[in-house]
Amino acid sequence: MKTMRIGLLAVLALGSLGSQRLQAEVSYFREIRPIIQRNCQGCHQPAMKYGGLDLTRYESFSAGGNKGPAYKVDAPKESLVLAYLKGERQPRMPLGSPPLADDQIELFRSWIASGAKDDTPPEARESSALDKPPVYHQAPVITALAYSPDGSQLAVSGYREVLLHRADGSALVARLVGLSDRIQSLEFSNDGKTLVAAGGTPARFGEIQLWDVASHKLKHSVTLTDETLFGASLSPDGSRVAVGCADNTVRVVDTAAGKEALKISNHENWVLGTVFGVNGKRLVSVGRDQAAKLTDATSGAFIENINALRGELAAVARHPTRDLILIGGAERIPYLYMMDRPASMKIADDSTLVRKFEMQDGAIFALAFSPDGSRIAVAGASDEVPIYQTETGERVATCKGHRGTYAVVFSPDGAHLSTGGFDGRVRTYEVTSCKSERDFVPVPLEPQLASAR
Amino acid sequence: MRNRIWVIAVIMIAAPCGAFAADQNVTALSVTPAALVFRSPDEGMRVLVMGTTAEGEQIDLSEAARLDPAESIVKRGADGLLYPVRQGETKVTVTARGAQAQFMVRVGDLTKAPQVSFLRDVEPILNKVGCTSGTCHGSAKGKNGFKLSLRGYDPEFDYEVLLYDMSGRRFNRADPARSLMLAKPTQQVPHGGGLRIELGSRYYNTILKWISAGVPYGDPKVDRVEKLEVLPKEVFMHGPSKAQQVLALAHYSDGSVRDVTREANISSNTPEVADVDPSARVKGERKGEAALLVRYEGKFVAVPVTVLNPNPGFAWNNLPQYNYVDELIDAKLKRLKILPSPAVDDAEFLRRVSLDLIGLPPTPEELRVFITDKTDSPAKRRRMVDRLIARPEFVDHWTLKWGDLLQVSRRYLGDKGMWEFRGWIRDSIAQNKPYDKFVYELLTARGSSYENPAANFFRVTRNAKASMEKTTQLFMGVRLVCTQCHDHPFEKWTQNQYYQMTAFFGSVGLKPGFQSGDEIVYDKREDYDIKHPKTGRVVAAKYLVASIGAPPIPNSPERREALVEWLTSKDNPFFARAIANRLWSYFLGRGIIEPVDDIRASNPPANEALLEALTKDLTDHAFDLRYLMKTIVNSRAYQAGIQTNVWNDDDKVNFSHAVPRRLGAEALMDALALAAGSRPKFPEVPPDTKAEEFPDPHVGKDGFLDVFGRPARESSCECERRSDISLPQALNLVNGRTIGDAVADPKGRVAGLILEGASDRAIVEDLYLAALCRYPTAKEYDTAAAYLKSGESRAAWAQDLLWSLVNSKAFLYNR
Repeated sequence: MKTMRIGLLAVLALGSLGSQRLQAEVSYFREIRPIIQRNCQGCHQPAMKYGGLDLTRYESFSAGGNKGPAYKVDAPKESLVLAYLKGERQPRMPLGSPPLADDQIELFRSWIASGAKDDTPPEARESSALDKPPVYHQAPVITALAYSPDGSQLAVSGYREVLLHRADGSALVARLVGLSDRIQSLEFSNDGKTLVAAGGTPARFGEIQLWDVASHKLKHSVTLTDETLFGASLSPDGSRVAVGCADNTVRVVDTAAGKEALKISNHENWVLGTVFGVNGKRLVSVGRDQAAKLTDATSGAFIENINALRGELAAVARHPTRDLILIGGAERIPYLYMMDRPASMKIADDSTLVRKFEMQDGAIFALAFSPDGSRIAVAGASDEVPIYQTETGERVATCKGHRGTYAVVFSPDGAHLSTGGFDGRVRTYEVTSCKSERDFVPVPLEPQLASAR
Repeated sequence: MRNRIWVIAVIMIAAPCGAFAADQNVTALSVTPAALVFRSPDEGMRVLVMGTTAEGEQIDLSEAARLDPAESIVKRGADGLLYPVRQGETKVTVTARGAQAQFMVRVGDLTKAPQVSFLRDVEPILNKVGCTSGTCHGSAKGKNGFKLSLRGYDPEFDYEVLLYDMSGRRFNRADPARSLMLAKPTQQVPHGGGLRIELGSRYYNTILKWISAGVPYGDPKVDRVEKLEVLPKEVFMHGPSKAQQVLALAHYSDGSVRDVTREANISSNTPEVADVDPSARVKGERKGEAALLVRYEGKFVAVPVTVLNPNPGFAWNNLPQYNYVDELIDAKLKRLKILPSPAVDDAEFLRRVSLDLIGLPPTPEELRVFITDKTDSPAKRRRMVDRLIARPEFVDHWTLKWGDLLQVSRRYLGDKGMWEFRGWIRDSIAQNKPYDKFVYELLTARGSSYENPAANFFRVTRNAKASMEKTTQLFMGVRLVCTQCHDHPFEKWTQNQYYQMTAFFGSVGLKPGFQSGDEIVYDKREDYDIKHPKTGRVVAAKYLVASIGAPPIPNSPERREALVEWLTSKDNPFFARAIANRLWSYFLGRGIIEPVDDIRASNPPANEALLEALTKDLTDHAFDLRYLMKTIVNSRAYQAGIQTNVWNDDDKVNFSHAVPRRLGAEALMDALALAAGSRPKFPEVPPDTKAEEFPDPHVGKDGFLDVFGRPARESSCECERRSDISLPQALNLVNGRTIGDAVADPKGRVAGLILEGASDRAIVEDLYLAALCRYPTAKEYDTAAAYLKSGESRAAWAQDLLWSLVNSKAFLYNR
């Protein structure tokens, strides 16, 4: 065990040229904290605080939970955290996941034995605690938007939170503060009771948050993988959420249990978008491997590639009532494909292509169908968001925006289109004319301190 | 304007002082730049302090010098750099080794420091710490889904990737310090590229400040580097184990100057002569020359470094100078303490110059006549040069050379096209067509390739990109191939320029001619626009460099005339220079710039003055290539021997002695034919055709010629002709049929000598003259004559003698 740890340290030291890290002391910041983030924070966070324990900060970790302090520096072996991790106390942690590796547990022991010091560099201290909404000096980039099914509310991604606004922009209804730095996707269940927020903290962990809309309470936090989750989508009946992962998988999570139900490894690169078919039995996923893959949503079995490979794909949307999917990405062209193939497939067959839309001025990041399926909206690196007629491919309106639009949604009545992106403002347009109706910063901004760096 | 004044060094009075007795005192100090202007609080700058010793040697005292500002508006940091403290202007006194000098410092209003921008501040960091390197995110496919432009050649692209890619995940406006862009290189999160930036370091703070300021791009007009300046302009060391600090200064259009020594990429092209350490100190390793290549944000500067031979006792040998070539070469040699080797004797000269001008060694008769001619040697040699140039073999030899470069081959042109093209080249050489006219006719050719054979140029290249690449590489010595995909990594050439130049050839069309196998070169009336692969937009034609009197570029498909007028102009900085350098390399075995078709700032010439003089001589004489050839071969430098002395034995680039060159494949075969009096037969050409007259590599394919490195004419690169030595060649020489048959030919030289009953002495002399172009020495006479007597068949033994002569280095090399 000892040699393994030395080996691990050696690897770290090799990786970090020039830094003097070949000492024996275990680092909270570099070694302990990442393990906690990846494995424990889902439940032990301010919004959940299982066992009264919050593991998102060093201070609250030291303080411990209902059972007392998490560790004893003078008697490391009696530390609660070690007992739970080793299974000497039940239930063994992390709950519902495989136990930590022995050398990871040994890191905890060794860290406690050497005084359990917080070595977080001042530069890396968090500017906001996880138990209250963040304070903003600049508007954060907007990466996701969602209208509630009744059209009354608009959910907007913030930094470590989801902001629930009244759809007409008249008021901020609630701030749903969670663990994840970034919220990549937002979707309401059809009954409007649950809000799915998926994202994570880049290069740390991915998370699916399931919020109870009425009470603004977090029902489940499911942490998955070491990277942000992308392109989450709800099955039509709301029982499952599919997400794209940076480990080239698609994960399907059971919304009632808050547990991973299926792991699908059909892609060869990051998966950035998912969508269920009309009847919820099949799933389409797109990603950096340029493929739109059709998968059986129950078994995870690969059915076929829908598209001819052309460029990295970043977005996928499904027609509201038909099994037609719209995909787009680096190639700048939105393609409309049938999910089903009328005849048997041949290599490089492109017979399921329904329509190729106009080439955009930049890469495509987001796509949306209007609620009746008659229109589509295309957003991305270009500074405009055009609306096309699905049937003809004709451009019917052009909404003037800004470079870098990452979220585009139609209101449930189909009359409005909302966008968000790089500049951190939510813009709402009238759909037929693209006339701007509203334009606001969804987060409260504090003036920048004069002394700020 | 003011900037220029800053740069001028101020040399100050020497002050007698005994405090530095331990070190050798200097008589004067000079400080560059003469003034420093600070605009931001965290900006560090320094000056170079050079001392002059009593012997006149310049030594670097930058580190040792004491700096005393009259008012403490600046202070020296632990890193030796000066940092601003408060606004003001003052004099700084520099003291070192008993001498003093002064320079000015001005600190602007530090509260009004310019905003951190991507262009000016952040991109240089990405380049310096290696994010944009070819093995990391700068590789063609990026790394782990994150791609930046190679070495940051395209800041706009990099900015967009950092900001917009993956919905802006790389920076975090809500909590800037938690940006992925900082967490990754500081290894707060796992990063495949390892730790590149320390937490809290200068680079870390700059990026943090930039994100906190809302990730501004900057103004390309102000924040792009306008000029890179490197101090000193030349590094000259009086021996190895000395060191010199180098400064890199970036000049911006708003007049500001920044010390970017730490961010610039500085490397030596010859580290075994002079190496440079991470703090930009050049260290002499051994005597010789090197160039320091300094690169910063797409700007390049090459600084010549000289490390002198430290040995005492150098005395110039005052060899005669035949023309300006020798004056310019000697000037450099003298400065570098290199002694040139004297000129060769008449026999050696005749062999060398004949092989170089006409591709053939002299016959025994020509040798005898030349050696016995009592005219004073330089005059006799000049006359011989004129005679050689007038010979028909001269035309054969240079037709072969241009056939290589223009890729004359039936593979591309068919039989008739190949013969026609070769014929056109032959005629051009025979009438000594001025080089500019020759190129003009090639590049503006239109019509049937049978009727206007110059049009075959475009039948070889076939498309606009290939035509452009070949034109620039062949006629300008500039390689633009890599700029098809990205800006040139070692030059100022950009990807845009690749397409701007290609646009001149967009309208060149090819269609089948009226005769079988013919093609017609015509101007396309549509679809002639060249589009940029990134934007998909049409690129307007534009000259690679501005040049006086370049014609306006017409807005029609016929743009070639304008291009060629610009190209072949005397004012084009590349055209005449490239051919002068190329010609020089044919005679001296090495270009003044080497490789000859890779002219760029980072590949400086071995002797700029010489190259400039040759270039000017050529343009002054209306691009008469024969004239320039004469100038070169009539120089003592060309005629120098291969024997070296202790002062030039390791000189490889300054032409202080000759370097043996293996004979080209065709010349070797022809020299063998001359020595043996027998020529191999090839079905494609009439009997007794010299290898140098072969029209293309189809003749004698896969045989002796190809083994000895005849180019297949698949590119116009000079490198295609191989001059290496290989095992198949050695085997071919020892056992091959070409040599075996030639030596034993019943109608050959040996057979003739035996049949006419020549004496042993006559046989030995004739074979030595024929094979090695010299008389045998007394000892060689005796050894060879004894050998001829030792066997039963005099003829077979004489064949052995010839065989061993043509297998000697003296035969195989032009020396």
